[in-house]
Amino acid sequence: MEPQLSWYLALSAVLFTIGVAGVIIKRNVIAMFMCIELMLNAVNLTFVSFASFFQDVTGQLFVFIVMTVAAAEAAVGLGIIIAIFRNRESLDVDDASILKL
Amino acid sequence: MLALLFILFAGLAIGCALAVVAQRNPLYSAISLIGVFISLACLYVMLAAPFIAAVQVIVYAGAIMVLVVFVIMLLNVEHEDARRTKIGFLLPAALVLAAVLIAEVAFILVSVDKASFPTSSASSIGSTASIGSQLFTTYLLPFEITSILLLMAIVGAMTLARRTKELSANARVIPGAQLLAANVVDSSKFLDDTTAIETDTVDEAASLLGISSPRDPSERD
Repeated sequence: MEPQLSWYLALSAVLFTIGVAGVIIKRNVIAMFMCIELMLNAVNLTFVSFASFFQDVTGQLFVFIVMTVAAAEAAVGLGIIIAIFRNRESLDVDDASILKL
Repeated sequence: MLALLFILFAGLAIGCALAVVAQRNPLYSAISLIGVFISLACLYVMLAAPFIAAVQVIVYAGAIMVLVVFVIMLLNVEHEDARRTKIGFLLPAALVLAAVLIAEVAFILVSVDKASFPTSSASSIGSTASIGSQLFTTYLLPFEITSILLLMAIVGAMTLARRTKELSANARVIPGAQLLAANVVDSSKFLDDTTAIETDTVDEAASLLGISSPRDPSERD
């Protein structure tokens, strides 16, 4: 039995939901950041499976650009995390409820 | 055979994703996330996208996760405390949203037609050559915008992570030491002595200069 498109879509939905739940549950900034990466990967899986299903390379190009954006997000996001940690000595998001650094 | 491989890698991905959320230690979460990335790369290979699979391993599991692990170790993150706030009304809301999601997945599984993936033998979709030719012809503008985005990310990360020095107008720099305000240094005492003395810390410099207490570094303005 061959894997079907719906299997990949269901897997992607499950991974995305786990990522959403992680963002809601976790209080550590770095853990929330990793859950956002998980959600990005779930969407990437959808793109690649549709690209393979429709025999169209555009979906894979989307994934390529999403990965680039994720890399930029990682650099800037971790810079923000370091700045917050220097000022507050804590990575708890509840401690960073004020935007003033 | 392919279905078995799919079940293997999908189970690995879901298990590692659950571990990402369940772990209290962020380092274990990062290791589990690498597991998710690698099993997704295997799924990409099954979907005839070898280039994306390689980039997934190199960029995600390589570069991004190394950055995350580096920051975790740099900041010496401790275990997460137990949650202080009460969940209260959030529990029924979560149940409703979970029911919506399960209905959605069931809808996908039922209503998406059962067509398997097309198995054209001479498909060049997903090869590096086809991705490259599309990227540099049809999608050249997004590619260039992406490069600008990366440049902005470099500048932004350096600006954010740089240690900001709060210098008052009358501060002066003592070479080899850190910063001391000018009004705590009696410069007239040292005009006859020009011998350079190297110090490593502010305290050392302060004791050499005969100053009682330099500015407390942990004090914030």
